[in-house]
Order: sequence, then structure tokens, then C-alpha cells
Amino acid sequence: MTIRVDNISKRFGKTEVLRAVSLEFTEREFITLVGPSGCGKTTLLRILSGLETPSSGEIWHGDKPIGHLAPGARDIAMVFQSYALYPHMDVFHNIAYGLRVRHTPADEIRRRVGEAAKVLEISHLLERKPRELSGGQRQRVALGRAMVRRPWLFLLDEPLSNLDAKLRVTMRSELKRVHRALETTTVYVTHDQLEAMTMSDRIAVMDGGFVQQFATPEQIYGHPANLFVAGFIGSPPMNFITDVALSDGRLVAGGAQPVTLPVLRIDRFAAALPRRAMTAGIRPQDIALSLSPVADAMAAEVQMVQLLGPEKLVEVTAAGRMLSVIVDAVVPVKAGERAWLLFDPLRVHLFDADTQRNVLPAPGLVS
Amino acid sequence: MQKNEHWRAADNRIGLLFIAPFVVAALVFMVYPVLESIRMAFYYIDPLNPDAQRFAGLDNFGTVLRDPLFWSSFRNAAYWTFVSTILQTVAGVGIALLLHLPLRGISVFRGLLLFPYIVPTVVIALCWQWMLNPEIGIVNHTLRGAGIIDENIYWLSSPDMAMLSTIMLNVWKYTPFVTICVLARLQTVPTELYDAAKVDGAGVLRRFTDITLPQLAEVLAVVVVFRTIWTFNKFEEIYLLTRGGPGTSTYNLAIYSFEQSIANLRMGVGAATGVIMMLMLFLGSILYMRLFRFQDET
Amino acid sequence: MTPMSRVRARRWLGQACAYATLVAITLAICFPLMWALSTSLKPKSELSTPPTLVPHAPTLENYRHLLTGKSQYFAGGSGEYQPTTAPPQYFLSWFGNSIIVSLGSTVISIVISTLAAYSITRFRYKGRMAVPYFSLLGYMVPSIILVFPLFMVMTRLELTDSLWSLTLGYVSTTLPFCMWLLWAFFRGIPVELEEAAMIDGASRLRVFGEIVLPSALPGIIAAAIFSMIVSWNDYLFARVFMNSVDHYPLTVGVMLFFEGVHVDWGLMMASAVLMTVPMAVLFMALQRHLVAGFGAGAVKG
Repeated sequence: MTIRVDNISKRFGKTEVLRAVSLEFTEREFITLVGPSGCGKTTLLRILSGLETPSSGEIWHGDKPIGHLAPGARDIAMVFQSYALYPHMDVFHNIAYGLRVRHTPADEIRRRVGEAAKVLEISHLLERKPRELSGGQRQRVALGRAMVRRPWLFLLDEPLSNLDAKLRVTMRSELKRVHRALETTTVYVTHDQLEAMTMSDRIAVMDGGFVQQFATPEQIYGHPANLFVAGFIGSPPMNFITDVALSDGRLVAGGAQPVTLPVLRIDRFAAALPRRAMTAGIRPQDIALSLSPVADAMAAEVQMVQLLGPEKLVEVTAAGRMLSVIVDAVVPVKAGERAWLLFDPLRVHLFDADTQRNVLPAPGLVS
Repeated sequence: MQKNEHWRAADNRIGLLFIAPFVVAALVFMVYPVLESIRMAFYYIDPLNPDAQRFAGLDNFGTVLRDPLFWSSFRNAAYWTFVSTILQTVAGVGIALLLHLPLRGISVFRGLLLFPYIVPTVVIALCWQWMLNPEIGIVNHTLRGAGIIDENIYWLSSPDMAMLSTIMLNVWKYTPFVTICVLARLQTVPTELYDAAKVDGAGVLRRFTDITLPQLAEVLAVVVVFRTIWTFNKFEEIYLLTRGGPGTSTYNLAIYSFEQSIANLRMGVGAATGVIMMLMLFLGSILYMRLFRFQDET
Repeated sequence: MTPMSRVRARRWLGQACAYATLVAITLAICFPLMWALSTSLKPKSELSTPPTLVPHAPTLENYRHLLTGKSQYFAGGSGEYQPTTAPPQYFLSWFGNSIIVSLGSTVISIVISTLAAYSITRFRYKGRMAVPYFSLLGYMVPSIILVFPLFMVMTRLELTDSLWSLTLGYVSTTLPFCMWLLWAFFRGIPVELEEAAMIDGASRLRVFGEIVLPSALPGIIAAAIFSMIVSWNDYLFARVFMNSVDHYPLTVGVMLFFEGVHVDWGLMMASAVLMTVPMAVLFMALQRHLVAGFGAGAVKG
């Protein structure tokens, strides 16, 4: 069965938080809503849960509208950012609460809580109160509470954001493991693009109350639909070069001193490109940096070098623009030196300066 | 398929159901008495025969405003309120600062110093009466023994001393209120602020004036307003100790209103006094808020 | 002396001064009641002799007279028995009246304000924000204004001189601050807890009973203590509403001891002590919550 978010809008007073959002996904998918704070992702999740009522639009589960149902009647589960464990109940009763409310027989409750606790490795904690647990343990209890009812939909609201960096990595794979084991449809909200990229089947990138792109992580990263997605996904962020036009089969950036971008074989796309001003985008990883002159390369001056571990982040100025480049850590590049840049032609992105949309066909279609 | 009722609709009815008792109680026990009091201020009412009421126009207010006792009660109330509030605030802040010290066993003192707040006014009044008894009270006995006085002081039956005694009672009972409010605020002042000031070379006094006081400004403003209003309204603290006496020397407006209604059987006049009190408090609060906001901006 | 030890010595001196001041203040605070306790344990003969803190011949006479109601004190002493004087055997019924009235008004105020606080912090409807500000205004209205109109209402309902009139009358003073305190408290309870329970399938009423009330308990206890204190301490309402001696609460009743020609200080101090005991017990048992209540910024005094 499909889950369909149909034309949902939400206003709080005069602020429009969601503007006619539509999404459709199928069972067993792991969907991530990602975007900067205030983009509407949490509101959309809360509308799915029933805790928030949309100003207009409907939620469909298969062919049933569920927008009018109370949260408890939707048979879904939600994990909150703050975990929201009942402070006066021990772990067992926290996990069992949803079953008790639904009048599940006592031995069935005990069995299912036991199972969930085993999967999450918290069997030894069942008699503790939430305040006696560490952050990671609380997280597991919150997950257990969601799992034990076997809902048809999991909603996770930034569940990892209160954990420290190391635990976050562990819990990330833990969550993925649980999802693979239970195969429950999951909608996951985060502002962390790395979480979104690593865990999801599909990602909805949101901004300003709109879904900017809804696609697989590969598509989002490899072929961002517009400037916002291109800039939001990827770290360090994509370099943008404004005021680019096609001239003689080459990309030329205008300005006081026009400069030809160091992209070979761009002519293949020529037919698809608009005759208007464009913005070119290239990820720091997709720029080749040479310390000796190379034909057709763009001359640059190194401003700053930061060692990131296996790589170096090099900031250079070229044709009056700041660009960042990722190089291997062994490259002996120093601030103040001259360098030459080449862009990977398959990984250059071109956006319409007006509509901000990606003007290139999706990668599968070219080459 | 039939479109079901949205669950919010049923849910909101529960919300309204929950607020309903409060609305009813507030109307009956708060709004009605105040409005009725205002109405009564315009009528002649004898409490022994409450059904025979005659419209009085502004007569009751005239009676009150022409009565020299009203004006002396007002002066007493103002003096009583002013002195009590200042003493409570100063003592309360001082004790709070002491209790904020990182000393061992300080929590025992914190508990004990809250104690007067829970002691019934009647009990304190009785204790005061007993301790201040001119012939066999402990206070005069001690003072005589220490050679400070030769003749017994008539604490509650000479006008100046009676006023002083009621102020002492009030300060004794309500200083803990200031202490706890200030202490609660002190405990939220980040210790980093003090560390930073120490590193900057600020001494104890500087740290008090530059960090503690500004942090306390807000809570002190609130505490002073509330203490002023409540002290101004107080009835029992004076009535139980001196009955407004000797003579009428410790009358405040609440006692004046009470005596007009009960002793003189003029409930209209008592109500008019109450209305005047409310007006004074209302104007006073507005004035104070103006003043405070003005300070805020500079 | 090394500079370090001088610093240490100065710190030690400072701490000693702080302790000394604290002890002095504590004494000043406790003395009136200690004195009352000491007086209540003295036989009549010790009262006019030079007073001592520790009674020479401690006796429970005064308490016995309060509780069992032998009124020989009033018959002896300076002369004849005064018929207008309240005989002390009423003490127990006054005590009972006080407890009934304080508990009654507290329960009413707490139930009403808990429901209301939940409603205005968790539901969205017009005018809900008026409730806390209205309550704050209610704080500032002098009791002397409320007492006579309420008296007239009670007269019309023929409730004067009944414990009901006091119970309901006290609601007018306890409700505003219970409301304010619980509003402040409910705002601080994370709403996610209830949302989690609702998603778990619990109905609104079940959420309220099983999730909200346990989380709100400290606030409710604080509000209840303050409400008890205010009702227990009231003199004005009881003085205006009640006529018959056996219906008085403690405050008005005990003040009757003053109206005799000869004031029996021992008996009076014993009743002062007994009157303080319930509040002191409450205070000691629930002190933690009391401080929390002050923290929430809602106390009437």
C-alpha cells in the first residue's frame, strides 16, 4: 500500500509553514525529510502523526483518508527528539504503555516487550527509571516503545540530535539495522545531511515549505534538482560560479574579466542549454588541482589549506572568485602558491539563473 | 464513505469542559464580589437588614473623603506599607545573600528561615501580645534587666510603639517571602559571571554591585510591587495585634472599611472605602510600571 | 604566616561570621514560638515570676485543659467565671472545623485550577490567555472587598454560620494563586510526553490521568500547601461569616480567649502551639515542594 501526502498546506497565523506539499511512498521505504530549521519538515512529520492538523490537504493510507483520525487511532509510532519517556514509569512500563492502552493481554505484553528489549539490547534495564539511563539507552527505550506495537509507520523526529558524535554513528547503523529487520515504513526527520544520505531509500529535501527534491540519495547528490539542493547537500558545500553562458561550445563566466571555465567536452550538452545566464556548480571533490601548469586549466592562487585527515581542503582564488577544492592529504600544497584547476566535465552542474533549476538532463540520459 | 468527524473537534470540547469550572468559580467568587462591592458603594446598606437598601449616589464616597479618620488611616497605611516593605526587602535580600554562601549545612538554615511564613497570623499576634506584655512580658523584662529602660514600655498601648510593633510583626512574617524569591533567582545566576569578574579583578563589593544587583533587579521589582500591594491590603496583621488602637492610631484602610461595615453598620461606606483602595492600587501599579519601564530604557 | 595561610585564616573568619549571623537570625525567627512553647509548659505560678526559657516545673496542664475542656481556669484566678468567655472545651471542635474548611477549600481550588491549567496550556481557543492574567489581578484584590459581598451571598443562600460558607469563601482567595502557580507549572511540563502517550493510543482523559497528573504532582502539592496555609490562617472571613461559637475555626475561636477579664497566657500559648503544629508538620514533610512553589513565582502573603 502507498502512503500519500496530498497537497498539504499548513499556516500558523500568517506564516506559511507548508505550501501544497505532495509526496508518495510505498511500504518498507525509509524516507528522510531533510532541510534547514524552519523548512517545515517537523511540521510535516507531526501532520503525518496527527498531532498537528493541516490547514488543507489530506493524508492517504492506500485508499483510506486518515487525516481526521486521532494520533492514537492511526496505529503509528513516533520517536521524539527529547525521547519523551514517561518519567514516572520504569523502562518496561514505558515500552508496554501503548500495548496496555490497547488492552493487550499481560503475557503477550511481557513477550513482546522482552523481544523488543532483546533486539535493542536493553533487557537488563527493564526495571530502571528513565532518569537512571544514559542518552543512548534512553534512545533505545524510545525506539523500543515505537517498535513493540508493530505499527505500519514509524515517525522519527531528529532522534539522534541529542547524542554525542560517536554514539550518533553507532545509533545510525543501529536504526538502519532495526529498519532492515522490521521492514516498517519509516519517515525520518533530520537536519543532518550525512544522516539523510547514509540511511535513506529516498530523501525529500525541504526548504521554505516546499519539497525541493524527492529522490534517492544518489540522485540528490549526483543530480540536484535546483540551486538550493545543490548547496544544501554535500560537504564542504558546492562551489557556485554565477553569470555563466555558453559561448563557442565553452562555458564562460562573465564579469569584469570574462574567464573560460576549465571544462572539457561540454559541447555534448550544448543542445540542452538555455540561451540565458546560468550558474555553474562544481563540488570541491570534483575539481582537480595541479601545482604545475596544465593546458586549458584555470590559474589560481592558494589562499588557505586545512588538513581534514585523509584530505586537505584548499581554498583558492581564481578569476576573482573564491573556490574550495578537496585534494589528497599527501599533495604538498601551501598557501601563497600558484595552482591550476580542472573541472570534471561529468560533474559540472548548470542551473538556470532565473528559475534556479538544474538545466542538464539527468546523468543516466547523457554520455 | 462517510467523512468522519475530525478528532480535534471532540478534543477541543474536552478543553472547554476543563476550563468551565474555573470560569464559573471565577465569576461567582471573584468577579461577582468585586462588582457587587462597587455596586454596594453606591447604596445605603445595613448589614442587620440587608434587604432594605437605598440608592446613595456618591454619598458614601463623600462620607469617606470628608472623614478625617479615613485620611489618618490612609497615612498610617502608607507609612506602614512603606516602612514594612523596605525593611522586608533589605532584610530579605541580606538573608538570601547569606543563604547563598557555599557553607556546609546551609540547607538546614534555608528550611528554618522559611518558617515564619507558615505560622498563622493569629499565633504570631498572640506571641507578640505575650512577649510585649508591659508587666510580665519577656521583652520589657529583658530590657529592664539589661538596664536599657527604667520604666516599662507600653508597646501596644502607646501610638508610636503600637505602630512599630505591627511593623515588626509584618517584617518578621514576610521577610522569608523576599528571601526565597531572591534566593531562587540567585541560584540561576551563572557562576561563570562571577568567575569572569574575578578574573577581571573585581572585588567582593564590585561583584555585588555589577553582577548580583543587576541580575536581581527584575525579581526585586516584582517582589516589591507584590509586597507593597499585599501589605497595603493587610487586615489581620494589625487588627489582631492592636485592633487598630490604641484609639485609632494604627488604623489602616482595611480596618477602616471593616469597622465602618461591622461596628458602624454602614456597609455602603465600607464598600466605598474598598473601591477607593482598589483604585489606589490600580493607579499605583500603573505608575510603578511606567516608572520601571522608564528605568528599563535608560 | 605565609600568604596562603593568611588567605585561609581570613576565609575561616568569614565563614565563622556568616555562621554566627545565620544562627542569630534563626534564633530571632524561632524565638517567639520557642517562647510560646516554653510558656505553654509552665504552671500558672511561673508566669509572673521572672521568666525563664526552661520551665522549672514543666506541666501539661494547659494542654490538658484545652483538650479535655475543664474550665476551672476561668472559674478561679481573678474572680468569677465569665459567661461570655469561650470555655476551652470548644478547642477540639474548632480544630476540626479548621481542618475541614482548609481541606475542603483546598480540594475545590486544586481540582478547578488543575483542570483549568491543563486546558489553557494544552488547548488553543480564544481568550485562554486571559485566565492567568485575570488570576494575577485576583491576587491583588484586598480580601476586605470580597468578604462583605460574599457574606451577602451566603446570607441569601442561608449558608452563613455553616462550614460551607467558609469553604466556598476561601476559594475566592485560594483559587487565583493556585491557578497562577499551576499555570506556570503546567507550562513547564514537556508536551512531548502527552503527544507520545496520544500516539500510543491513550485517550485525552487517560493522558491527563496517567501522564499529566503524575508529572504535575510537585506543582499540585505546592499549590495545595499554600492553599492550606492561607485557609488555615484566615481570620477575616471566619469573623464575618460565623456566629456560633462551636462553628468557629481555630483563628476566631482562639482569639476569644482574649475576651475574658483575666487572660490565661498559659492556655493561650498552648493553643498557639497546637494551632501551629499541623502547618509545621505539613511544612517539614513537604518543604521541598514549598520552595518549588516559591520558584514558580506564585505565593500569596
